[in-house]
Amino acid sequence: MEGQDSLANMRKAVDALASIARQLYEASEDFPAVNRNSKRVLASVEMLKINLEEA
Amino acid sequence: MNREVPYWNPYLESLTRDSLERLQLKKFKRILTWAYTNSVFHRTLYQDGGVHPDDINSLDAVRRVPKVEKSMMQPIQRKDPFPYGDALCVDLEDVCVFRQTSGTTGQPVYQPDTWQDWEWWSDCWATLLWAQGYRPSDRVFLPFGYNVFVAFWAAHYASEKIGCETIPGGVLDTKSRILKIQELQATALMATPTYILGMADTARNQLHLDPAALPITKITCAGEPGALIPATKKRMEEAWGAKVYDHAGATEIGAWGFECSSQPGALHVNEAMFLAEVEDLETGMPLTEPGQRGKLIITALDRFAQPCIRFDSKDIVEIGEDRCECGRTYKLFKGGVVGRADDITKVKGVLLAPSAIEDVVRSVQGLGNEYEVIVDKKGDADNITLKVELAEDMADAAMAELKAVLATQLRLKTNLGYNLEFFPLNSLPRYEVKARRFKDLRKKER
Repeated sequence: MEGQDSLANMRKAVDALASIARQLYEASEDFPAVNRNSKRVLASVEMLKINLEEA
Repeated sequence: MNREVPYWNPYLESLTRDSLERLQLKKFKRILTWAYTNSVFHRTLYQDGGVHPDDINSLDAVRRVPKVEKSMMQPIQRKDPFPYGDALCVDLEDVCVFRQTSGTTGQPVYQPDTWQDWEWWSDCWATLLWAQGYRPSDRVFLPFGYNVFVAFWAAHYASEKIGCETIPGGVLDTKSRILKIQELQATALMATPTYILGMADTARNQLHLDPAALPITKITCAGEPGALIPATKKRMEEAWGAKVYDHAGATEIGAWGFECSSQPGALHVNEAMFLAEVEDLETGMPLTEPGQRGKLIITALDRFAQPCIRFDSKDIVEIGEDRCECGRTYKLFKGGVVGRADDITKVKGVLLAPSAIEDVVRSVQGLGNEYEVIVDKKGDADNITLKVELAEDMADAAMAELKAVLATQLRLKTNLGYNLEFFPLNSLPRYEVKARRFKDLRKKER
């Protein structure tokens, strides 16, 4: 099993990823290629959150 | 990446029971609150049952939440937001994929998923494939005609997610599929047990090829319980010279259970993603002791577009021992899904309700009222015959047309192909009480 420090660091990285993906998504209303791809990234980021969710 | 790691998710799959149950309760409250807030169907159900998400503060309290059955979903669909109706919890524009149940228990239930839900579906499948030894070096062949049913779609995406080279073996006949496996040197295969055995027969009898000589090392089964029936598993493993593994899932639920590479004769419940309760068939009381058999009530903890909360799966399961030598802390169901709570049976991996056949027979002009359905086995494959009476004599051309209409309707309503036999009126048996029109001859062979 991953150590607690390692899990905490991964969770931080996922939060940072979510923030950047959200920023891209919100900035791309008139840019479908970026908007739709960043939306998919956000879906993957949610799965990362589920995979690392703290009990 | 370290391919020797035995778990897809080393963190979740080895949580202590206390941590796992804490996570399940946290997730259950979240999905319950989500459904209560976003679905008219769920909110009404819970308000009528006198339950508010804030009241659910223990796993024992979960039992206060009203259950959902498939029959409750059918009448709310085909309405706005079309076609999902009041259980939809997201904007229609966020739905990226449509699936439906087979409809053998009545009208099909439509299942919407968002990209996020689909990521979750494929992750649940990736969990089971990794547990069964699938790695990026595998070349995976899926001999299945993907369609509106969820079968093998998530398996395909999970195989891609793991990094396996994934071969869609859809609209090929059985011989072509076997030759493609040979040509591409595929190492893994996924199909129903019936089809796995049928492929082996075809390889031997029509291609004069020993399937065990092919490079397949592992086979994942779905759709039927055969992979956890010892004799069937043995027959498949001997035929293919490969390890055979089971899994369990459903369109409305997700892929909730899997056999690991330790082959404990049981399915692990993916408890980080699902809350599985077992209740007594007669009293509805919770069962928790190894050896007890009951009905599975299940919640998908992370599926949001159309939540699955305390869903009455009708699956019968037996609680297994606590631990498996694989080291996962997830609970086990011995023998997998060991039966169904209703009288529905599986033919060729498809759930079949006799009432669905009757519905078709009696809706086709030119047919009499009486019919008989016989399910048996030809070799290792299921075989289903429908004997039906004609309402009146008819010319060959009209008969051929009628046969085509009947075959099409049966395929549409039951997702199965039949051997059709026509008889003159009043020639099939008549029954005064409790008609026995459905004869499953496979049961005698067990």
